[in-house]
Amino acid sequence: MPQQGEAPAATMARADFFSALVLVALGGGALLEALRMPRFEAIGANPYSVPGLVPGVLGAVIAVLGLFLLVRSVRQGGHRRGAAAAGGDAGGARLWLALVLTLGYAALLVGTLPFALATGLFVFAFIVLFERPESAGRRVRRTLSAAVEALIVAAVVTHVFEEFFYVRLP
Amino acid sequence: MFEGVQRLAEALLGFATPLALANVLWATLLGIVVGMMPGLTATLGVALLTTLTLKMASSQALLILVCMYIGAIYGGSRSAILLNIPGTPANAATTLDGFPLARAGRAGAAMGVATAGSVVGSLIGILMLATISPLLGEFALKFGAFEFFWLAVFGIVISGNLTAQQDPLKGWIAGFLGLLVATVGQEGVHAYARFAYGSTDLAGGIGLLPALVGAFGFSEVLVVMCQPKPDVVREMRGSVVPRIADLWRYRRTAVRSGLIGTTMGIIPGVGEDMGAWVSYAAARRTSRERDQFGKGSVEGLMAAETGNNAAVPGAIIPVLTLAVPGSAPAAVLLAAMFIHGVRPGPLLMIESPGFLWEVVAMCLLATLAMFVHGMLLTRPLLYVLRVPRERLMPVIFVLCTVGAFAIAGRVFDIWVMLAFGVLGYLLRSLHYPLAPLVLGLVLGDILDKNLRRALVLADGDLAPFVTRPISLALGAVTVATILLSYPAVRALLAAPLRRAFGAPGR
Repeated sequence: MPQQGEAPAATMARADFFSALVLVALGGGALLEALRMPRFEAIGANPYSVPGLVPGVLGAVIAVLGLFLLVRSVRQGGHRRGAAAAGGDAGGARLWLALVLTLGYAALLVGTLPFALATGLFVFAFIVLFERPESAGRRVRRTLSAAVEALIVAAVVTHVFEEFFYVRLP
Repeated sequence: MFEGVQRLAEALLGFATPLALANVLWATLLGIVVGMMPGLTATLGVALLTTLTLKMASSQALLILVCMYIGAIYGGSRSAILLNIPGTPANAATTLDGFPLARAGRAGAAMGVATAGSVVGSLIGILMLATISPLLGEFALKFGAFEFFWLAVFGIVISGNLTAQQDPLKGWIAGFLGLLVATVGQEGVHAYARFAYGSTDLAGGIGLLPALVGAFGFSEVLVVMCQPKPDVVREMRGSVVPRIADLWRYRRTAVRSGLIGTTMGIIPGVGEDMGAWVSYAAARRTSRERDQFGKGSVEGLMAAETGNNAAVPGAIIPVLTLAVPGSAPAAVLLAAMFIHGVRPGPLLMIESPGFLWEVVAMCLLATLAMFVHGMLLTRPLLYVLRVPRERLMPVIFVLCTVGAFAIAGRVFDIWVMLAFGVLGYLLRSLHYPLAPLVLGLVLGDILDKNLRRALVLADGDLAPFVTRPISLALGAVTVATILLSYPAVRALLAAPLRRAFGAPGR
């Protein structure tokens, strides 16, 4: 089965090495936390019904699977190579821009500003920052149309959700 | 049998109202549009519509969701054929022959073949939904805690295996991560809030819908925005009406792909994309025009598009009978059923025997609407593909945010959506499949309750896990699936088999 966006094997081994470390830590952490969960012995709970049982088992399984991945990535040399070339290219810059805009909107603006205003600002900023018009004349037109779209989206989404679907907005 | 037909007729009559028919038409059309747009998947479409239809009557809401699901899987073929970009992951196999056909100036014909394949696949899936579900439901009544435990583990392992064939280890990791995340929050036996650290939000647990909207909506926004700009839509020529001669010529492929697709749908957490890939591979193996595959084979296109749409009713079969989703969009459908007061599972057939037939009727109506839209609206709908991503993606993200919030009115759900969006993006760029993660989120509760229940029942004895017949079978298949994914084990088994049967090695 073809996979989209084949990364070079070395980069993948490097990425696997780090993700395996995270997985082992996560699984091990979950196991330790599960062991610390209460066992309700005082109320005579059945020892097999304790809350920590399943998270503990799952944490252990994830840690073991992470170890398999770790061993495999080390065999492929994932631990040796210098920092893998990531970011810096055009795709990386676009990703960061998208992340800043979306997280800024959903985590900061929504809830602080009125919903319609936050949404309008986000849509406008997203379009203006991502579109790269070729000429100055086009730039004005694109900016205007972005403002129009932002207004429409903000108004329609707010109105439709509140009046039509009876959803309280943040 | 007769009773079934009668119940189906009743269900269809129940939907013969102007409101229901209007819902079928717009929801299927919206599904096609969502499917067409690269970056909008069936999972996201169904999840967003679930949040929008919360306040509707349950039968209308579920009807709308089924129409969205079926429409989206079909709609994805449009962009696969014209842009060489699968509109949803389910249409990836469609690009292999659909795009070469379009490049050869036969885009219209390719669309027609896709429409015909989707309709045939959907019908075969619906037929199997109607016939298999009662049997499977009856069989599932024999399931106790031991069997449900194995079913959960089996689901994760097989889903991890099939959705990450290159690297099953990553599929399993994704699945077990989903199971672990599902344990966050208050558990069902002692009401202890796990991993909550005093937060009432975490004690409430991670909602499936916000997580899905993040993993399939927000992460997709990020993926789309980092990619280079796709090519402009090419001109489309030729009639979009499928030729009966094509259908008849490839009837075997269509039926085989329909059966394979439905089966892939039934397997937990595998879904439409594997329905298409496996059907496509089977068609190539048996075809007389094998050399044409990948260069614009009508047969290959037919196999892929029949396989993915057949998987839709297939994926609903385990939802209804076991409360285990066959695919990611089916997981949303399962969550929506719970929200609307339907309790899927082995008891469904006993408690509300008419519901299966309502779902069958919903699928039939959606298939009909898909056919009508495919015939009439293919050309006008192509304008959808010209919407630039810079203009579309912010709107999608706004809907993801509102949708995540709308389910329970919790700001925490927006945070869950964001976290799963970033997590989903990271996992995808590291080649971890998302379907097992989703399945794990759904199965976490089943695994948790049934493992502890089973251990309490057996007083810690592990023997019943391997001595009860159904348990043994499920356990054996699970272990075999894990072992067979190791090339060393396969080679070990292949040698004696070859000696025994004298067959030449591949």
